[in-house]
Amino acid sequence: MLGQSTGARLFSAFNAVFLIALSLLCIAPLVHIAAVSLSSSSAVTAGWVKFWPVDFTLDSYRFVMTRGEIWSSMWVTLQRVALGGGLNLLLTILIAYPLSKESATFRSRTGYAWFFFFTMLFSGGLIPWYMVIRQLELLDSIWALVLPAGVPVFNVVLMLNFFRQLPKELEEAAFMDGAGHWTTLWKIYLPAALPALATVSLFAVVWHWNSWFDGLILMNRPEHYPLQSYLQTVIMQRDMTFIQHLSRAELAIVSDRTIKSAQILIATLPIVFVYPFLQRFFVKGIVLGSVKG
Amino acid sequence: MRKGTRAAFIAFVCAATLTISACGGENGTGKGNAGSSSAPSASPSGSASNAQPSAGAADKYDPPIEISLVGVTDDTLEGVLAKLSGETFENNRWSKLYKDQLGITFKYDWIAKGPDQFKQKMNVSLASGDVPDFIQVDATELKQLQEADLIMDLRDLYESNAAPLTKEVLTQDGQAPFDAATIDGKLMGIPNIRSSIDMAQFVWIRTDWLQKLNLPEPKTLQDVVAISEAFATQDPDGNNKADTVGLLLQKDLFGGFAGLEGFFNGFHAYPTIWVEDESGNLAHGSTRPETKAALAELQRMFKNGLLDQEFGVKDWGKTAETASAGKVGVSFGQQWLSAWPFQSNHDNDPNAVWKGYPLLSADDKPARPEISLGTYQYWAVRKDAKNPEALLKMFNAYIKKNWGETAEFGTYYLPGDAEGTWKLSPVTPEPPNKNLDAYLAIAEAAANGKLAELTGEAKVIQDKIAEYKNGNEKLWSWAAGYDVDGVYGVMKQYKESDRFMMNKFVGAPTETMAEKSATLGKLTNETFTRIILGELPIDAFDTFVQDWNKLGGEQITKEANEWYRASKS
Amino acid sequence: MIKSRALSRNLPLHLMILPGLLLVLIFSYVPILGTYIAFQKFIPAKGFFGDQAWIGWDNFRYVLDLPGIFQVLWNTVFIAVMKMVAGIVVPLTVALLLNELRKQAIKRSVQTLIYLPHFLSWIILGGVLVDLLSPSSGLVNQALGAFGIKPIFFLGSNDWFPYTMVISDVWKEFGFATIVYLAALTGIDPQQYEAAIIDGASRWKQTWHVTLPGMRMIIVLMVVLSLGNVLNAGFDQIVNLYSAQVYASGDIIDTLVYRLGLQQAQYGVATAVGLFKSVVSFLFISVAYYAAYKLADYRIF
Repeated sequence: MLGQSTGARLFSAFNAVFLIALSLLCIAPLVHIAAVSLSSSSAVTAGWVKFWPVDFTLDSYRFVMTRGEIWSSMWVTLQRVALGGGLNLLLTILIAYPLSKESATFRSRTGYAWFFFFTMLFSGGLIPWYMVIRQLELLDSIWALVLPAGVPVFNVVLMLNFFRQLPKELEEAAFMDGAGHWTTLWKIYLPAALPALATVSLFAVVWHWNSWFDGLILMNRPEHYPLQSYLQTVIMQRDMTFIQHLSRAELAIVSDRTIKSAQILIATLPIVFVYPFLQRFFVKGIVLGSVKG
Repeated sequence: MRKGTRAAFIAFVCAATLTISACGGENGTGKGNAGSSSAPSASPSGSASNAQPSAGAADKYDPPIEISLVGVTDDTLEGVLAKLSGETFENNRWSKLYKDQLGITFKYDWIAKGPDQFKQKMNVSLASGDVPDFIQVDATELKQLQEADLIMDLRDLYESNAAPLTKEVLTQDGQAPFDAATIDGKLMGIPNIRSSIDMAQFVWIRTDWLQKLNLPEPKTLQDVVAISEAFATQDPDGNNKADTVGLLLQKDLFGGFAGLEGFFNGFHAYPTIWVEDESGNLAHGSTRPETKAALAELQRMFKNGLLDQEFGVKDWGKTAETASAGKVGVSFGQQWLSAWPFQSNHDNDPNAVWKGYPLLSADDKPARPEISLGTYQYWAVRKDAKNPEALLKMFNAYIKKNWGETAEFGTYYLPGDAEGTWKLSPVTPEPPNKNLDAYLAIAEAAANGKLAELTGEAKVIQDKIAEYKNGNEKLWSWAAGYDVDGVYGVMKQYKESDRFMMNKFVGAPTETMAEKSATLGKLTNETFTRIILGELPIDAFDTFVQDWNKLGGEQITKEANEWYRASKS
Repeated sequence: MIKSRALSRNLPLHLMILPGLLLVLIFSYVPILGTYIAFQKFIPAKGFFGDQAWIGWDNFRYVLDLPGIFQVLWNTVFIAVMKMVAGIVVPLTVALLLNELRKQAIKRSVQTLIYLPHFLSWIILGGVLVDLLSPSSGLVNQALGAFGIKPIFFLGSNDWFPYTMVISDVWKEFGFATIVYLAALTGIDPQQYEAAIIDGASRWKQTWHVTLPGMRMIIVLMVVLSLGNVLNAGFDQIVNLYSAQVYASGDIIDTLVYRLGLQQAQYGVATAVGLFKSVVSFLFISVAYYAAYKLADYRIF
């Protein structure tokens, strides 16, 4: 290996510093929110809290712990992440694989591709979508959160492109050995596309975790709201006409940012730990070597 | 406020009344005033055309009936439920009251959390064809329901089934709440009545700063401006930094907190409501010449640094921080400001004391606070609902349980510190003058040394004031509101001198209003903001009026006048 | 014979697609049939299949007649295009820079941290940004002041508002795209790097001749997909950060429609605008798709 020139070393140093500064910039708001959640309500209302708690108190967390809603909604979210994320991943793989084939070998592929892609741009709007789900009697059930979003087209397109990048020899070798499409997909392609799999899994899981609008509209009871839907109802900044109609006690709660911040933190931290977990899959496909040999 | 108790009581009476009507068949003579759009008769002693409902055990539905509803909950309601152990949204003291006293159980098709979610969910449900028996909507939605021919005319039901107390409460605000719900001469909704006078604004000033800077209390609007100048320049928070703001203002320019209505009213301009012009026709206050004079003064104030230079990007939440941090001493706003954000200011700095003063005028004519209809929700009944009179029974029970003779205010409205218990009832009308009445009761009792004899809502409030005086600083806002020299004393002055300037247009939004309000609102907000900031010259106001008319204002004014003429006849 | 073998060979492929196809058919295509309310004066209370008035192109005309609509359209495209460009360049650059990091620990930490802002909603970030960008007390202006630069009213000036929106949005979302590029980077054959090093290529040359070409497919893909956002200037962000002072440069189609919705749940108008946006996006992407196909024999999907 050639040694690094001074220029290269300098670059490395600056690079590291720059990227670290960038990450600090990115984590700053979360630190601010954490600080707010640990400060007293009046200090927060006065805008005194920046990155460190003022009048340290665990009151907001105590309050949140006693209120069950955030936990029951987290359970709903965990269900939708498992079911929905799993379904997304499965369908992504199942659809991307055929679509990654050449038109010559699989003539319908372009038709199918446009079929799916079209839905990325066009939608019928809120009401028709709601009515379909209602007609299927899925309202207020976990399936309403899982099925309609079953096919994440963006992830499919990503995945099919990653599949395409895999060497042709892989597929040919597999067919030589008498493997059909199913075997090729599961035994050959997937292990070779680990980074892609990790990526689309992450996106599927994160999408389900973050998604809040469908929960608000499709559930018939607040107890069935998933986590982010619940959070949305808590942090929504109402317009002035609403607060004018509140009683005195309500006014105090409406603007209590410490409680909101505690809830935001509780709702955000779990998902943050998923990505580091998936990072180990961002390694080169192990099969590449075996084909050469 | 023990709204819950009253609500339950009204509901009870309503339900009782309706049960009797149901058992006893139609009370045939209650035809009311056919063809006119005025409110149903208010006199409880009965004009001959009103049938008298009789209260009693027969009000109860037997066998019990089921009413389908859609529900809305929010954070505070969930907080209340947390304090009332064992009660849930669908199963609580109010639902029990309605069941036991009226034989009514509720079946909720769905419950949404938050008013925005409620609206959206309701829209998609209606579009899907799911309509509950009773539904609570605003004026625009009421009109849509009527256009879709989904709801029924409630006038006869109201006449026959509303208890005397209910009628008294519902007409305490005059005809306006009923006018707003009357479409094509038919009463399509029962107003979930709210106070209009409580929307009046005051000028709130920090009296500790007045004392510190040796300033007298203001008597004119010029005094207020001078005070805000002093607060902005003379370092009242004593930290040797020029970081205080003269007059508090948030970016929407209007609203119950840190808005400008009170300022404009001092110039006899009424920018958010409809007023009568010289020829007796309706005109929108924002386009009247007096508005220009007020804007010019605001422009001058901004230029001289009396306003927060960044107010244009700060919403009401952000603006509250300025008050809470003790950086401002003058703000216009409604009576509840002492609860928020000023209580927070007081928590951070116990010396910070705010007082609500009456709106002051720029000349010798007294300033009149502009108000609009406080009622903004109405209960409608689906056309083929089986027991429509149940709605009125609920109203009767609610009002009676909270404010009637058998009121249990402390159970149903405000038990202990579970403020907001009243919200557990679907219907929640509240007497428009109840806050003022509470103040008057306390003031009178204080004057006669009879504080210990107070009951109901007044007692609850007085207890809080007493606790504050005993050292609980967290209850300062109650004293600022209801103590003898509290802001409700000013409200009393307003009422006695009949100073409210009520919005002259109280009907449902007209066709063009619905289409153009957003555009006109944007134009007004943008123009006024830029004039105040100095980005536009004051004469841009004249162009504004022309544009406003061109962009639909002229059409809206025409429609408003049509309504006005029709409602006066 | 070939045909039937091809069919039986490909039958599994059709079967794989089938479940997804059904889901999309039911939950996307059936609702699309309901787009026709764009041509009605839609009142929810009347019911979807109720007696709604057909008004043809009136909803579209209504939007086009709104005062300042052309300024609004311009704002939308201006901000959206800047976001599209920055949304490609920044994540790509960061992914390349990350690739240069030697220490895995730093690399992994940075990768995780830059993804964080994505999880915070604009409702929260709005308040944070108003403070941060304040001309009088915000950290950014204080930092600028150290360089002798006068305070800039980022959120209150029409000159700066669009750029503020772009930069803050990129900051929030670049972590997401970076992941895609990082995944693409790992797919590059290490032998190509070895060959380049043997040829004496510096790190720069390697990046230019090996890395970027190796990522070409994904880069083109991301560019084309982002073309679909030509009219999406970011409603969530702008509605939480704009104000009357910056309507002139900050009001976009979606905020305009949103304000209309406040008054009278105007679903017909909202659907019309949505349809318009969809058609425009579709045109852009189709053109890009066929351009890539004809010119580079590359099918994007």
